[in-house]
Amino acid sequence: MSDSKLPPKNTILSDEKALLLDHDYDGIQELDHPLPRWWVWGFVCCVIFGIGYMGYYMTGPGPSSKQELSKAMAEIEALKPPSANGSAGSEPSAEELMKAFKDSASLNHGHEVYTTKCLACHGDKGQGLIGPNLTDDFWIHGTGNLADVAHVVTTGVPEKGMPPWGPVLTATELKDVVAFVHSLHGTNPAGAKPAQGNQQTFKD
Amino acid sequence: MSKTELHQPMETFAYDDEIVKQFSLATIIWGGVAFLVGIICALQLADWHLNFGLSWLTFGRLRPLHTNAAIFAFGGNAIFAGIYYSTQRLCKARLFNDTLSKIHFWGWQLIIVSAALTLPFGITQGKEYAELEWPIDIAITLIWVVFAINFFGTLWRRREKHMYVALWFYIATIVTVAVLHIVNSVEVPVSWYQSYPVYAGVQDALVQWWYGHNAVAFFLTTPFLGLMYFFIPKAANRPVYSYRLSIVHFWSLVFIYIWAGPHHLLYTALPEWAQTLGMVFSVMLWAPSWGGMINGLLTLRGSWDKVRTEPVLKFMATSLTFYGMATFEGPLLSIKSVSALGHYTDWIIAHVHGGTLGWNGFLTFGMLYYLVPALYKTELYSKRLANIHFWTSTIGILLYIISMWTSGITQGLMLRAIDSTGKLVYPDFVETIVRIAPLYWIRAFGGTLFLAGFLVMCYNLYKTWQLAPKNQKQDLYQAPALSKAIPADDNNSGPWHRRLEGLMPAFSILVLLGIVLGSAIEILPTLIVHTYAPANSKVAPYTPLELAGRDLYINEGCYNCHSQMIRTLPEDVLRYGKASLPEESMYDHPFQWGSKRTGPDLARVGGKYPDLWHYRHMLDPRSVTPNSIMPVYPWLFDDKTDFAILTKKFSVMQSLGVPYTDDEVRTAPETARAQAMQIAQGLSADSPIKGLEDKKIIAIIAYLQRLGKNPELLNAAEKSEAQPAPEVQ
Repeated sequence: MSDSKLPPKNTILSDEKALLLDHDYDGIQELDHPLPRWWVWGFVCCVIFGIGYMGYYMTGPGPSSKQELSKAMAEIEALKPPSANGSAGSEPSAEELMKAFKDSASLNHGHEVYTTKCLACHGDKGQGLIGPNLTDDFWIHGTGNLADVAHVVTTGVPEKGMPPWGPVLTATELKDVVAFVHSLHGTNPAGAKPAQGNQQTFKD
Repeated sequence: MSKTELHQPMETFAYDDEIVKQFSLATIIWGGVAFLVGIICALQLADWHLNFGLSWLTFGRLRPLHTNAAIFAFGGNAIFAGIYYSTQRLCKARLFNDTLSKIHFWGWQLIIVSAALTLPFGITQGKEYAELEWPIDIAITLIWVVFAINFFGTLWRRREKHMYVALWFYIATIVTVAVLHIVNSVEVPVSWYQSYPVYAGVQDALVQWWYGHNAVAFFLTTPFLGLMYFFIPKAANRPVYSYRLSIVHFWSLVFIYIWAGPHHLLYTALPEWAQTLGMVFSVMLWAPSWGGMINGLLTLRGSWDKVRTEPVLKFMATSLTFYGMATFEGPLLSIKSVSALGHYTDWIIAHVHGGTLGWNGFLTFGMLYYLVPALYKTELYSKRLANIHFWTSTIGILLYIISMWTSGITQGLMLRAIDSTGKLVYPDFVETIVRIAPLYWIRAFGGTLFLAGFLVMCYNLYKTWQLAPKNQKQDLYQAPALSKAIPADDNNSGPWHRRLEGLMPAFSILVLLGIVLGSAIEILPTLIVHTYAPANSKVAPYTPLELAGRDLYINEGCYNCHSQMIRTLPEDVLRYGKASLPEESMYDHPFQWGSKRTGPDLARVGGKYPDLWHYRHMLDPRSVTPNSIMPVYPWLFDDKTDFAILTKKFSVMQSLGVPYTDDEVRTAPETARAQAMQIAQGLSADSPIKGLEDKKIIAIIAYLQRLGKNPELLNAAEKSEAQPAPEVQ
């Protein structure tokens, strides 16, 4: 049988004897060390910071998150190269596109971009899947020439689920992928999606 | 012992240790379950094949099971075991009522079993750590009341005049968890398996994270601090370092913690003043949290040699260190600019596991190494095995949190990287996943080590139990009854707090006032004033099919990996579109802002892809997003949408203030069928798929295509802004 009246067998260090309180809870005793100084100051500093922060942002001149966002977005906007038509991202010029179309390194690079961004919807060979076939003579938006493809890729067709790639791709990626898509014309891959849009006649 | 007490006749009594044994065993069993499910979830993130294409085993459904099991089953049973053991001794009184103890034990186990039988089947409210549906919510309330009566009844009958600091923390736990659970669970049932919360959008977000954060505070912190205050001095045979520090850090912790919830919602559509309060109070919380760690660790002064050899102290000292680490990291993550980087990433996962595995886990293990030999009057079978447990699990935790810190910070930095032309360097979310995926294997390995250590403990405790001497007699104790007539000298003199420690009802009411004050100031304005949603708002409520899809989104636990909240941060706006507006989720019962982005944000995914993209994506995510780690959802293509129940769902929504006309309520099923037919026809234009319009996939597509689609609202908001943010999407 345990006797709860036995004095506790706790170890008391020599510097603690004066601090021992007359508390005994089932053998648990308590010392009355003062609050650690650094802890008190840490607490006080946090409270002062808190009051200052609230004052600055809730009643003072501190900007709101929306204002900070507008500022940051304006800075990002300023980084963007000037765009010809005011849409997000500029479209490559006809010469740039033609140059890329004639350059095998550009086409290879375009293929890489195509694989990561376009393949999911247009198929690995441009045969069409979720999006339309890119290899036949039929085009839904524009005539399928380099400039029209560049326009669709840049601005997208959001209502049909084609995202605008202008804000995502770099200028080089964009012209190269357009050139690559154009190079797919007439390849007639297996499992091609049936024609959609209007038939076009191609000169180049 | 004062002289007055000596004149009282001695009373003889015995403690109820059987209930402590039962809760301890339950802690061990559910701990094993929680850790195992955690490892399965970790492996599923490392390799999506491990979802097995089975609905009930898929990550979105298992993750809530893991969190609920860890917090409420493992943590809950550990708390009950420790509280019942220590309270009896601190009060020198047997538990108030043995029957209530039994009801508490079996009731809690039934609640856990019902959680395990509902969550994997998609029966959920879709609110984190409050997923359990309304019948279980009621059961939790009842059992908590039983616990409260049993606890406060024991305090009422105590033979020790003053309440020790451990009891203060238990009081705070019981009072606050009751308030949190009841306020957050106000919901209207649709059926036995479903309900909608009365709060929506911003309100729901605020209430939910007030609850969610304080579940951490008052379920995983205050009760464990109480246990620490009991078991560390007991195991070390040392007096508590500073009584004064106990008082200051207890009251400041209780008062400040309750305000900190909105730090989960920084840069969201939550009103800014609430965000500011959330951040500031979290920073102020650092010192009160550390008060507990300091008091615990300095109690070990002069006994550090014992920490090396005694498993109990070794685990507890380490758990306090993890506690100190997590409670420093918490305020740090609450600073807005740090939250901007860390929120929605694995950094948060590292943070919570430092807390749960390190603090709650190790404290519980330390307690079990103390309790099992004490309850069975024997010695621990093997200190060597306890050491193996300690090191295996410690290395496991370190691998876990270091890999998740790395993953979180890596992903956070990648997501915000902007190049010299103002473009995102990694525009595809999946690029970040490819980079961090290897770390998911390390995390899973760390978790496995933690579990391995735990299993060593199970064996060690089993062998200890076998060593117990047979035919043990019930121990009897003696103490004088507490005189109800409080002697004058004791009542009217001495420090005020010392007097308060003798007044259980007054103490409990003060705690209640302390937590209600912060809660009311923070939550009531948003609940009462609807200014966050302008009266002439152009937001259209969901169509019946969209609502059906939304419920499926919740059932599948999509919110566990996808947020629906574009923060007021450039990287979010560049990637996902215009920052989310508060009124966009004003009819969302419950809100689905999410807390983690294992996949991209979906707030404006509507119209971003064609229906066919979603169709293929849910069937095989990798067919449209190579390297995606999302599970497959084949059952959505077989299971049928329940159209008939939509009338009931619409009428509940109507009663909650969503502006549906009576006509719309009545015709909801037909309206839904018509919309489903349209989508199905669009999907199968070339080769019609039979009965597609009845399938769940169609409802999900309808919902996803609706997200962020409030064109009138967005145009209006753009005009009203002085400096409109450039729209990139």
